[in-house]
Amino acid sequence: MRLTINGKEETIEKNSVTVAQLLTEMNVEMPDMVSVELNGDFLERENYDGIEVQENDRVEFLYFMGGGSLIG
Amino acid sequence: MADYKPKTFEVHGKIEGRIKSGPTTGIYQSTAFEHETAEDIENILSQRKFGYTYSRINNPNLTAFEEKMNLLEKGIGAISLSSGMAAVSAALLSILKTGDEFISGKSLFSGTYSLFTDLFVRFGIKPVFVNSTDIKEIENAVTKKTKLIFVETIGNPRCDVPDLKKISEIAKQAGIPLVLDNTLATPYLFSAKDFGADIIVHSASKYINGSGNAVGGVIIDTGSFEFRNNEKFDDFEKFKKYGALAYLAKTRRQVHTNLGTCLSAQNAFLLSLGLETLSLRMKQHCDNAKALAGFLENHKKVKKVSYSGLKTSEYHETAKSQFYDNFGGLLTFELESKEKAFKFIDNRTFLRNLPNLGDAKSLIVHPASTIYIDFDNDTKEMLGVNDRMIRVSVGIEDSEDIIREFEKILEKI
Repeated sequence: MRLTINGKEETIEKNSVTVAQLLTEMNVEMPDMVSVELNGDFLERENYDGIEVQENDRVEFLYFMGGGSLIG
Repeated sequence: MADYKPKTFEVHGKIEGRIKSGPTTGIYQSTAFEHETAEDIENILSQRKFGYTYSRINNPNLTAFEEKMNLLEKGIGAISLSSGMAAVSAALLSILKTGDEFISGKSLFSGTYSLFTDLFVRFGIKPVFVNSTDIKEIENAVTKKTKLIFVETIGNPRCDVPDLKKISEIAKQAGIPLVLDNTLATPYLFSAKDFGADIIVHSASKYINGSGNAVGGVIIDTGSFEFRNNEKFDDFEKFKKYGALAYLAKTRRQVHTNLGTCLSAQNAFLLSLGLETLSLRMKQHCDNAKALAGFLENHKKVKKVSYSGLKTSEYHETAKSQFYDNFGGLLTFELESKEKAFKFIDNRTFLRNLPNLGDAKSLIVHPASTIYIDFDNDTKEMLGVNDRMIRVSVGIEDSEDIIREFEKILEKI
């Protein structure tokens, strides 16, 4: 299945995958601290297990912990 | 997450997915962090990928400490800061804005009182002080402008204990969060989330550190208050995209990172190390404090002892229902006069005369002439301080030695 993850085309060797499984599949670090946007909508954490990602979906991960706020 | 007990989390922190290395994390004494590609840094700074770039924003030592505190307070996330005062400031400034009011217990650490009355007031944020053990007074203080309730689990230095279940019910009824300073109780004594605390703050410099060698603070979001889609907190609109982590995102990004209240890597390391023995130390602090309070209560030269572990304390029943058999390591006692209090301090042997608490070593201080010196007598009285009072942070030495030390000094004065 082809997905766009963080703006980049990725291929997952599975036909169906939940958001929770996708976090594992993509080796997402600190999964408890990431928010997930699916096709422009931010998902509720408690739904990660129930929502399936479809072919050509756009997925964005968003961490509140890092980010660029006037560094350096 | 596997169901481990708090003592195991104190020692190990996060267990699943932990990095296999030495018994400690090491100290990441680096201002900034290099990455292989330009894209890597871009992904981190655009918040798409987890990673470290600059230690004001994040650092592996900070993450390790935050994970431990989050596990111990059963939160959804934590933010470490440069001090307990930084934690109180950031926790509240994330929620409050000009024109808001908030309710605060008036049994308060002097720094917190000063922050509320000297700084917050300057920016049009109004504290409404109440007796935190008077539930009716708290209820009556709630107005449309009230945005949160702030109390200390055990008041410093009054040693009073508010009924936190009831206060949390008032907060829920009013649709506002309860922000709790859990410094004196620590997660060992008090499971703040189970009693309805929404946001928890600590001065980690105290019992969490345990050795008086690092200043730090921490905020934990228990995840029980919904700031999103809430008219009262329209300021959170911009942070909705972080989902349940909206409060943590706003506090970290808008307040903490911009103010630059970052904890140092070295101090985060020392605080994590301190946590490894928190339960062992707290048990000993509590046992020793109970024994000392009992001794002082029966001494003819002591006029008053404040410690909720004493059956004669007006806060004993509430404390028992919240802390079970442990009542903390801090107590105050009063002598006949300020002169007697000074004489007591000057006749010590192993006790340390310094303005800190939560150290493994027993500490004494005369609050009125030190921590509260900037306040007039009326304010001191309001905050539970008087000239005759000595505050004792009971250490983990042998309790017989502690009591003998107090006995000897009392004989001399």
